[in-house]
Amino acid sequence: MKKLLTGVAGATVMMAALGTGVAKADDIVVGFATASSGFMQAYDKPAQDAAMIRIDEINKAGGLLGKQIKTVAADTKTDRAEGAKAGLEVIDKGASLVVVSCDYDFGAPAALAAEAAGKVSFFLCAESIKAGIQGVGPRSFSASVLAAVQGATMAEWAYNKKKARNFYRLLDTWTEYNKGICDGFDWMMPKLKDAKLVGQDTFKNEDTSIAAQITRIKSLPQQPDAIMLCSMMPGVVSAVKQIRAAGIKSMILNGSGVSGGYWLNATPDLSDFYVPDQGSVYGDDPNPAVNEFNKKYKAATGGDPSSQYVYPGYVMIDVWAKAVERAKTTDADAVVKELEKMKDEKTLFGPRTFTDKIHHQNRGRYLITEVKNGKPGVVDEWTISEPIPVEYLVKK
Amino acid sequence: MTALLQILFDALSLGSLYALGAIGIALIFGVMRLVNFAHGDYISFCVFALLWPSIDAAAIVFAGQLPAYLLIPIILATGACLSMLSEILVFRRFRNANPATMMIASFALGFVIKYTLLMLFSSRPKSIDLWSELALPVEILDARIPLLQVITIIITVLILAALVAFLKRTRFGLEMRAAAENFTMARMLGVRANAVILLAFAISGMLAASIGLILVTQTGTVDIQMGSSVMLVAFIATVIGGLGSLPGAVVAGFLIGGISVLMQVILPLDVRPFRDAFVYGAVIVVLIWRPNGLFAPRSAKQRV
Amino acid sequence: MTERPSIFMRTLSTPIILIMVLVFFLALAALVNSGPFNQVVIDAMVKVTLVVGLYVFIGNSGVISFGHIGFTCLGAYATAWLTIPPMMKKMSLPGLPDLILETKLPFGVAIVLGGLFAALFALVVGKILMRLSGIAASIATFAMLAVINTVYSNWERVTGATSSVVGIPIVRVVWPYFLVAAAAILIAHLYSISRSGLALRAARDEAIAASASGVDIGRERLTAFVISAFIAGLGGALSAHSVGVVTPDTFYLNLTFICLSMLVVGGMNSLSGAVMGVVVLSVIIQVLRQFEKGVDIGGSILAIPNGLQEITIGIVMVVILIARPSGLTRNTEIVWRGWPFKRVSAAAES
Repeated sequence: MKKLLTGVAGATVMMAALGTGVAKADDIVVGFATASSGFMQAYDKPAQDAAMIRIDEINKAGGLLGKQIKTVAADTKTDRAEGAKAGLEVIDKGASLVVVSCDYDFGAPAALAAEAAGKVSFFLCAESIKAGIQGVGPRSFSASVLAAVQGATMAEWAYNKKKARNFYRLLDTWTEYNKGICDGFDWMMPKLKDAKLVGQDTFKNEDTSIAAQITRIKSLPQQPDAIMLCSMMPGVVSAVKQIRAAGIKSMILNGSGVSGGYWLNATPDLSDFYVPDQGSVYGDDPNPAVNEFNKKYKAATGGDPSSQYVYPGYVMIDVWAKAVERAKTTDADAVVKELEKMKDEKTLFGPRTFTDKIHHQNRGRYLITEVKNGKPGVVDEWTISEPIPVEYLVKK
Repeated sequence: MTALLQILFDALSLGSLYALGAIGIALIFGVMRLVNFAHGDYISFCVFALLWPSIDAAAIVFAGQLPAYLLIPIILATGACLSMLSEILVFRRFRNANPATMMIASFALGFVIKYTLLMLFSSRPKSIDLWSELALPVEILDARIPLLQVITIIITVLILAALVAFLKRTRFGLEMRAAAENFTMARMLGVRANAVILLAFAISGMLAASIGLILVTQTGTVDIQMGSSVMLVAFIATVIGGLGSLPGAVVAGFLIGGISVLMQVILPLDVRPFRDAFVYGAVIVVLIWRPNGLFAPRSAKQRV
Repeated sequence: MTERPSIFMRTLSTPIILIMVLVFFLALAALVNSGPFNQVVIDAMVKVTLVVGLYVFIGNSGVISFGHIGFTCLGAYATAWLTIPPMMKKMSLPGLPDLILETKLPFGVAIVLGGLFAALFALVVGKILMRLSGIAASIATFAMLAVINTVYSNWERVTGATSSVVGIPIVRVVWPYFLVAAAAILIAHLYSISRSGLALRAARDEAIAASASGVDIGRERLTAFVISAFIAGLGGALSAHSVGVVTPDTFYLNLTFICLSMLVVGGMNSLSGAVMGVVVLSVIIQVLRQFEKGVDIGGSILAIPNGLQEITIGIVMVVILIARPSGLTRNTEIVWRGWPFKRVSAAAES
């Protein structure tokens, strides 16, 4: 037993003694408190790579305020307690911008640590209103667009462009992201004249079979024009497969969670399936600069972007660097002020607006991707007719 | 009527999965009092065996391209090997340990399997199209039932029948039943303990593999987590059925599947997200009513 | 023949030694004085509290509980309800009763109330569940965890459903966590030498004999259940304040298994096992994490791939269990055998 105790003591002292490197004082430091292992790694890594591409571009063009941007990283291991540690660690290493995990739930602990230390924090691609003032605090931002905007976009687009009138709402209760999509859909529905919700149901992402839910759709007197499917990977693939297998032919509207063609081999003949994308990963973006970026991404990482969630990483560094240039300092309050002045600030992946009420996008331009015979392609572009009110988003 | 039939098929096909999982767990528990928490990870492992390791988002289908008559035996063998390997490397060393220690060891083993898969394949769920022609619906008495549901049920019945025949008609089966009834006594009477346990692991692994194949065909997804939810329900089914009782495990598996589907149908929309709370509430009620399970084997009787 | 000292005096060294182990880490945190390392120590203190809570029930009753993390969840949310500024609560959790909506309690009071809330819940549920024993009881506790998780994941207006509840004051100093962990150790120790604790352990080892000697197993189990729920609830409240967010899925299977593993690896029938399990596994995890980040050895950086830490810790656990099936402490308590307590411990040996 004594051996056990001394062993533990020795190991701990050694562990504490192992120092960590500190960046040079005249660099600007961007700290990544993101997951490089565990579940979130697959989502954080691509967006982080995109952020690195923008940082490289800035450094090659002479840097920011005449200084080079350095990056430090700490692994959150897809664990909230570890996330808080990772946040503290990158702050310790002098980060003036703390980049946190893509998902709000996993990014929040690190963002809260940054907030408490008076640093600007950016969620890589969180799509909840709480990833910002309403949740973390006044120095926190998200680089993506709210989930609710996706639901609202799909509803309004399908109504106007596809003449959909009868909608069915199928919610996967697993995450807030899913609920966010349906919230946006719910907000848009009453604004669409004659549009009718003919039914709704819920399921759980981990349900192996959604047969009972499908039976309910099939027993409707008339099949709906469109099914608003508020779900995400991996359950959504199974749900889509089962819906189509049961012979339901209604068009399926989704959030960006199903963006990217990597999963389509599970459903070879899928058609009438629509996804909102901030930029196209399929090489057919109307903006050639996006296709240019995709090439750069491939050169840097060895693969094409897997989904649109790569892009917010690039947007994040882009808007933050612009704000720093304008504020002429990396001081958090000055940078936040400059960010809040941005109105329809052009980025590669649609305009960005921040105000002192919301550090997120409650309206945004989306490309509409259609999956036809198992092949995705951009068919349209849509911006919702009015922004979703902050009060509505907060109440949800 | 049609709706009822549909619900019946929904319940039976979900129950089939749970029943297959429950027997896999009950078999092992019967012979060595081990609650194998790695069982769910066997399922995931077998499913990932269809793919070539890569951390890209798109799946690189490897074994999955083989024709069914080769693919099925290979995947079943994978399950059996993994399961037997875990017995040889890990569980064999816990013969006289208490059940809690074995349980945690099995959990640690599952942890290792899961994180190995995570390193090789990344956490992103992958998609694969396996026998999607099975997803076509068939008409049965006006109800359109996905062919796969029917096949799942038929396969489960076949597996159960084969298992019963094996247990009742072969020498190994007899030994296994004897071992499940009273392991020490069986051993004294000349039952080859290690061989019987190894065989139980092999069968259990094959059951895990078959669940994996059904799940992939049904969902088109390959995911690290996919085994664990089935495993949990199967584990509960094993206890409700009466630990160590194979018929009990099967019945309880179908029962939970049935309750789950029924709740989804009858609960009003606002309460529907709470479905699992009702299902697990029912589990508690059953346990209070029959603490030793619905089909408690005599050997499992508590002394007090 | 000297007079036999009371059980209190004979076993007093165990909690003292265990608390000294925690003091060592407290001192180390003060010495290193870095944010991330502080958080590591805080995390370990929370785990000590949780695992000691588990020990009070599992160690004394012999019934494996999969449900205690449910109490942790109750404690965490209770402290969130009580400490989030009323302005934020009204927006994010409007379904709470007015009384709670209006109050904002200090951290110290809120965590105790969190523990009490969990204990109260355990008292009600335990009345039903503690009729069961063996594996049926284990599954029933798991079903309880699943029910709590499902309710907290969907009760939008009161728990915020699956979304993270934020606004909980973050406490980043180590000593409050140390105090609670030490208190948990003391409570656990006092319980296990109490009449009820002894009776329950007797029932664990020889159920028939104990019940024949007049031990009401159900009642003693309930006592242990409630006390352990209190500690688990405290631990949950602490974990809420250590990261500043709570979500239901934090308090589900992963945490359940991690805590159970720490307990079993340490030795599930002894308090020392509970504490040492946490300490040893946490230290190994931290050392491995350091290797993942890269360690400078003689000028060259040695690093293991990310994710290898989890695989290694799994293998280490299996190996420990193979070598010591009854845990690192072999289910015995650490006692002081040297001067000046020599005679006392000799008496304890006999």
